[in-house]
Amino acid sequence: MEENKIYEKEHTINENYRQKPKVAVYVCHCGGNISDVVDVKKVAEELSKYHDVAISREYAFMCSSTGQDYIVEDIQKNGINRVVIAACSPALHELTFRGALQRAGLNPYLYEHVNIREQVSWVHKNDKEGATKKAISLVKAGVEKVLRQDPLNSIRVEAVKTVAVIGGGVSGMRAALSVAKNGLNAVIIEKSDKLGGKLNRSGNVYPTGEKAISVAENLSKEVLSSDKIKVYFNSEITFVSGYVGNFQINVKRKNGEYEKIKAGAIIIATGFDNYKPYEGEYGYGLNKFVLTLPEFIEALEKSGPGKFNYNGKDINSVSFIHCVGSRQIDGIDKPGKNGKINEYCSRVCCTSLINTANNLKTKYPDVEVFDIYTDIRTYGMDHESYYKEASKNDVIFFRRPLEERPSVEFDGAKIKIKTKDVLTMNEDMEIETDMVVLGVGMVPNDITDLVEYMKLPKSSDGFLQEVHPKLRPVEVANNGIFIAGTAQGPMDILESLQASNTAAVKAAALLASGDIPLDPFVAVVDEDKCTGCEKCPKECSYSGALTMIEKEVNGKKKKVAYVNAALCKGCGACAAVCEPRAINVAGWSLDQFDAMVEAIAKE
Amino acid sequence: MSKPKILIITTNHSSYPGANAVGQARLSYGSNTYIIRVPDPVMFPEDFYIRAFEKGIAGIIIMSSGSDCPYEGAYERLSKRIQNVYNIMKQKNININRLKLTTICTVCKEAFLKEISDMEKVVQNVN
Repeated sequence: MEENKIYEKEHTINENYRQKPKVAVYVCHCGGNISDVVDVKKVAEELSKYHDVAISREYAFMCSSTGQDYIVEDIQKNGINRVVIAACSPALHELTFRGALQRAGLNPYLYEHVNIREQVSWVHKNDKEGATKKAISLVKAGVEKVLRQDPLNSIRVEAVKTVAVIGGGVSGMRAALSVAKNGLNAVIIEKSDKLGGKLNRSGNVYPTGEKAISVAENLSKEVLSSDKIKVYFNSEITFVSGYVGNFQINVKRKNGEYEKIKAGAIIIATGFDNYKPYEGEYGYGLNKFVLTLPEFIEALEKSGPGKFNYNGKDINSVSFIHCVGSRQIDGIDKPGKNGKINEYCSRVCCTSLINTANNLKTKYPDVEVFDIYTDIRTYGMDHESYYKEASKNDVIFFRRPLEERPSVEFDGAKIKIKTKDVLTMNEDMEIETDMVVLGVGMVPNDITDLVEYMKLPKSSDGFLQEVHPKLRPVEVANNGIFIAGTAQGPMDILESLQASNTAAVKAAALLASGDIPLDPFVAVVDEDKCTGCEKCPKECSYSGALTMIEKEVNGKKKKVAYVNAALCKGCGACAAVCEPRAINVAGWSLDQFDAMVEAIAKE
Repeated sequence: MSKPKILIITTNHSSYPGANAVGQARLSYGSNTYIIRVPDPVMFPEDFYIRAFEKGIAGIIIMSSGSDCPYEGAYERLSKRIQNVYNIMKQKNININRLKLTTICTVCKEAFLKEISDMEKVVQNVN
């Protein structure tokens, strides 16, 4: 595969880091947050006596412009070439201080951030002496680390300005449209011959009451008329290779032809599957009048005016059962084919089920409706109104205990549901009904191949897992790959659309400038030390990230480890097996950690 | 004499933010605990732990990201490596309870405190 250019963005302006180390230590008071517990003066004083420390100060707010000016001035006027700041969590101000170093002309990575707030003053407020002693040790460890720190340069990789969207359902279409609106090209790879996915079979959708199929058709028209979106129908992905900015997706078309699609980023919008009840679960598969919710929605759509007729029988009463295949309990519910139960709440089924019950009552007001639930979780904006409307529509609710399951029994043509009802002090109830509708939850779609090709992380529920639910909600750990919609977990159409837009904007922002910055914290090889033993590539889980190459080193040809910086994730698994310590994660070397532990262990 | 020192190895993705969450909740634990952060503890070879004990660290808690680990295969490799460390510790007559591999998430405050409390009991007779 043709590789795009990878290059480093040179940060280092000032070369004085090559000279004798002159470390500056700054201890922040954080306006009392730290200094009320930690004796910051003592910390600064102790550090001023530590080897290679040229300046040691304490200041009220190091993150303020005055605090940052101290850093800049000390670097520019006092020849400081390494910096340690003891303050709050690095999550808050690591980038702030890196910026100060950069403004002063020093490589921004010649800096170590020591957390003495969240992990010292806030947790040891009743032990001021111990907190101060701990802070001194941690700052000394920080000095040891920064003394062994090499200047690092951001890695940048040229990017293909196309986003590949896998899946042409509502999430995929929305993501592609949003990518196009952001000025990039999108390619949708859809396995079927039609866009819209499950929306094509979803009845009418809350909260607008629109026909789902018309929503699908409108989006589909917009997608197909966009000159920035190309759709591959009937296409199966056979392999994915490459890395952020430069992915290649191999696709097999229905006609047997193969295509290679190049993309700078990938949005996975593969959607969900409906939980399929096993035979006999609440009578499913044993009686044609026990349906899943999607099957019922389809039946209701097809049924004509007058009486509700299904399979030749007039339906006068329908009973809905919630939480089928979700909120399962170990020891009570039967595990699925994967041996696991679905402990999660599928979130959207309550509203979907009650919306359907209301649609049924609107179309056939005389049909009696029973609703057997554990908890009603109509959680979205204005969704509670569906619940209230159902009550007004005379839907009769029974609340079953969490750990008990209703039974569905057949007596000739009659169906009987037996359940305990919490609302009537656990009274045993028997409901005679013409039809049972199972509120099945969402389960992950089978995307085993994609997970394998792209090494995608999955949560314990089996859905794709984001890096952080709040801070990085649509990103997976693999750079350049985003998730849109229900591939990530149960969500309704509105939430899927929001997630899709977010994923699209993230992907567009990533590719907008034509090249992509990568974290410099990837494995680096000291070719002089490398013995070519070939142990490290075996430890690497990322295909192509770490290989052995023949290379001339110091005039001699030798076999050395080679890291593809765009593919390396920086986990360090390779470093652990390298006896001569020839391979390390930049900025996190074993020599640094040994020295830190030594500083901590000392009295 | 100072209290035995506990080294806590945290991950950038999970347990380091988890340790911050403990601070943000103003919960408390002993000041003989020293937190370092790494991309993933899988980077440490077996002898790193042995050296740390030899230098005077009384107990080590590895707070990994477990099943939330963003690095493919890293947790499995780490588990195997720690098993090797236990074997070396046995050979060297180092109490294996002084090293604990556990999983701490970004919000696992109670679990974080419990791990420290458990390790405090182990290390009180070390040194």
